Amino acid sequence: MANGSMRLDLRNSLRQEPVILTLLTILAVLFFLAVSGLSHIYHTQQQSLGNRWFDRGVTDLNAQRFERAVSDFRTALLYSRDDYSYEFNLAEALIGLKRTDEAYAYLINLWDEEPENGLVNLELARIAAHKHETDKALRYYHNAIYATWSDSDEELERRTTRLELIDYLLGIGARTQAESELIALAANLGDDAAQQLRVADLFARIKDYEHALAEYRLVLASDRNNPAALAGLGMSAFQLSRYDVARRYLEAAAAANPNDSQSAELLKTTELVLRLDPYQRQLSVAERNRIVIEGFAAAGERVKACSPAGGVPEQMPNSSAPNNLAAKRAKWEQMKNQVTEQGLRRNPDLVDAAMDLVFDIERQSNATCGPASGADLALLLIARLHEGN
Amino acid sequence: MDLSTKSQGDALVEEAPAAIGMPVALPRRSRTAFLRSIFSEERFFLILSVFIGVFSGLSVVCFRFAIDWCRIYLLGSGYTLSTSRLLLAPTLAGLVIAVLVIHVFPLARGSGVNQTKAALFIYNGYIPLRTAVGKFITAALAIGSGHSLGPEDPSLQIGASLASAIGRQLHLSRDRMRLIAPVGAAAGLAAAFNAPISAVLFVIEEVIGRWTAGILGSVVLSAVSSVVVMRWFLGSESLFRIPPVELKQPSELIAYAVLGVVGGLASVVFSSGIATLRPRFKALPNWTQYFQPALAGLLIGLIAVLGAPQVMGAGYEYIDEAMHGQFTWQFLAILAGLKIVATLLSFVSGTPGGMFAPTLFIGAMLGAAVGGAEHVLLPHLTGSPGTYALVGMGVLFAGFLRVPMTSVFMVLEVSGNYSIIVPVIVANTFAYVISRKLQPTAIFDILTRQDGLDLPSMEEQREEGILRVEDAMRPVTDPVLKAEETLEQAWQRANANAPEVPKVLLVQLSPTGWSSVTLEELKTMIKEGKNTLTLASVLAGRQVPFLHPDHSLDTALRYVDRWPLVPVVSRADFRQLEGVITQQDVLKRYRDFGEG
Repeated sequence: MANGSMRLDLRNSLRQEPVILTLLTILAVLFFLAVSGLSHIYHTQQQSLGNRWFDRGVTDLNAQRFERAVSDFRTALLYSRDDYSYEFNLAEALIGLKRTDEAYAYLINLWDEEPENGLVNLELARIAAHKHETDKALRYYHNAIYATWSDSDEELERRTTRLELIDYLLGIGARTQAESELIALAANLGDDAAQQLRVADLFARIKDYEHALAEYRLVLASDRNNPAALAGLGMSAFQLSRYDVARRYLEAAAAANPNDSQSAELLKTTELVLRLDPYQRQLSVAERNRIVIEGFAAAGERVKACSPAGGVPEQMPNSSAPNNLAAKRAKWEQMKNQVTEQGLRRNPDLVDAAMDLVFDIERQSNATCGPASGADLALLLIARLHEGN
Repeated sequence: MDLSTKSQGDALVEEAPAAIGMPVALPRRSRTAFLRSIFSEERFFLILSVFIGVFSGLSVVCFRFAIDWCRIYLLGSGYTLSTSRLLLAPTLAGLVIAVLVIHVFPLARGSGVNQTKAALFIYNGYIPLRTAVGKFITAALAIGSGHSLGPEDPSLQIGASLASAIGRQLHLSRDRMRLIAPVGAAAGLAAAFNAPISAVLFVIEEVIGRWTAGILGSVVLSAVSSVVVMRWFLGSESLFRIPPVELKQPSELIAYAVLGVVGGLASVVFSSGIATLRPRFKALPNWTQYFQPALAGLLIGLIAVLGAPQVMGAGYEYIDEAMHGQFTWQFLAILAGLKIVATLLSFVSGTPGGMFAPTLFIGAMLGAAVGGAEHVLLPHLTGSPGTYALVGMGVLFAGFLRVPMTSVFMVLEVSGNYSIIVPVIVANTFAYVISRKLQPTAIFDILTRQDGLDLPSMEEQREEGILRVEDAMRPVTDPVLKAEETLEQAWQRANANAPEVPKVLLVQLSPTGWSSVTLEELKTMIKEGKNTLTLASVLAGRQVPFLHPDHSLDTALRYVDRWPLVPVVSRADFRQLEGVITQQDVLKRYRDFGEG
């Protein structure tokens, strides 16, 4: 009887709400601990599988087996859906397969997650550039330039990205934008000779020879025999009509790299310019007269070849005065007997008149009969050099 | 303690010591009363809902682990699966599942939604715990081996079953027991979906079918606590990575409407397929039941081997890929079609597993396919494949599962983007209307009827016409008496229209309120010599309740039984009489409605 009453009391006590809630709490904690244990096993396995497939993917990606790499990275993502590097590498593999739309989808997700990630911005910029979406490409390139670059030399990555942007701008003909990017880049350029040389080349490519010259000089400051820098500096000086400087560096370039035919060719022209320019200082009268006679003769050959006697020269497109050349030839014929050593000595004013005619003939011939070469090109360059004097 | 006997708890509070804050040793009876004041049945049920949510959340986490482990060990850990595994895993798993379902867990068959509904409406909230265990094992095996089914509906049933078991242990009242299964169901679904709002809405829209504050509180608490637990272990990421979605041009709504039409038609094909094939498979000889899941598994494996492994399992990772434009629209359309076939095979063969994930898969593929095709035809459309896939998921939810509210909120909750709401509503409406027109009975109702049950159809309940007071009331033709009139005056006015003398007259009290008096009463009081007394004095304390025209006829029925004539007044002015209603009027209207 007493036992029965105790059991009833116990049962009643167990049915009290606080007791029920305490029991439920204990059960919940136990269940929670058990699931925590399972969860640990589960997540460890998921992580291990993810890493294993990711490592395989990286190996395949490095070996350019893009199809397999895509499959590997996708598998890795099954086990860690939001792993940043898994997704990024998958996007890279997709880019390798030229599946840029899919890659873009992954990259844009990564971008949403980390808009300041340099690599992601760069890849997005490349895809946008590939799809001819200029605005987007520029935005992502600029994002990449000012982004954070983990695990690498940030400044180097930024400069490399800017260089890529400049290439892209030049590719789409945005020369002004490219020039401003180049100036910004040059201002932040470190001691990396390769990048300095690249920047100098780009300045030369956009015909900003002053900046190019300065950059080539920086390269030579750290590597005085760099053939590319020597050639580039010589060419830039040549374009700036600084023929003395050009000759010095072009000679050095030709010596440093005998296979550099372009520099050799420029050197020849430079030497001709320096030899055929009668307005150089410190020339004796005899020497000057000899140069004038040589130039006059060369112009005569050019005008004869371009405008045969009595014939109408073959007209170049956009040539406004085809028959002018015949008049020049007539004038040349008229002056031919006066432009002699004796005639020039007797009449020093004839030097200017003769050279004016020479320059006119070269300009006209260049416009009418096609690009000049050799002595004609040199005379043309001399004409440009003294234009306005 | 039987919680069903505790409804007087509040009255016992008065027995608590008056000197609050004093260190008084409570007598035993007072202590009980004090505890009961804290743990009233309502509050206790709410606390219990949190525990149900926690237990359901933990169970669903285990269920997810089990599915993943089954997939890794049965199909392999890679993205590309070997042919032999693709064919063998679902086939052999099908054989094991068939044996388990036939001999050990007969109630584990099917999706689980209808079983939970049956528990609510037929079995007083009773779902055996064995069902949860069976569902857990067989569904994990089925989904993990590649059967085209999802984990949400089984999670719903596991949650409901756990809740039911807890309720039974605590000897809850019958009413509470009926409610506890949906509370667990919401918890299970919320954890599986990682979307508490959608889970709550689904359970209320499809399982319970009514909104009350009591139910809503418990369901919300359990859903939220289960989601918290699930996120603790599995992270808070949604099921899919949602790409940026937006609607730039309103004219694009036409494109989404087209998606709604296509989705509506696909829903009809899908539900008709189940409605037609399921009874035929069930009618096959009993011994074939052992081989039906295996055969379904073999055919699904064959589809996978032939180039569409995406149809296997729940397929969330492929929904994710479709959302990010990683398939062509043609392939997406093929995948949608093949998924319908694969899910039909899995479901009609009696393999335990849910319909939610396949529905989402088909919707996403169809949406992205329609979006892609529309882009080819109209390149200026700005919606991304992800946007169309998201809307497509909602479309199939609305068209196939026929839960219009849940379908909208599911997309919003999953995407976390409210700018998509207009396309979702437009597309879902088209899908829902088309599906209802071509397939009048919703899929869950078809399934219950095929199982020989007659559960209330939530869709039919929603659509049911409600009779209102305005449908039965009649205009006031008899004189309305004033409270200040004497009995004599009242008698004269009542008899003014003789011989059509009314039996009951309304009396307007001042400043507001109504009363009534019968002709017989008037006659008696006049005979007693009270003819100079006013109506107000004789009818004091005899107020008649009034109704409004929009009140339901069910409400009116409660009053017309006690009062012979009930005034129907305007909501704007209680003194303005719109009509009157009697018991006869109500019954006549019900009779007419039944005949109609």
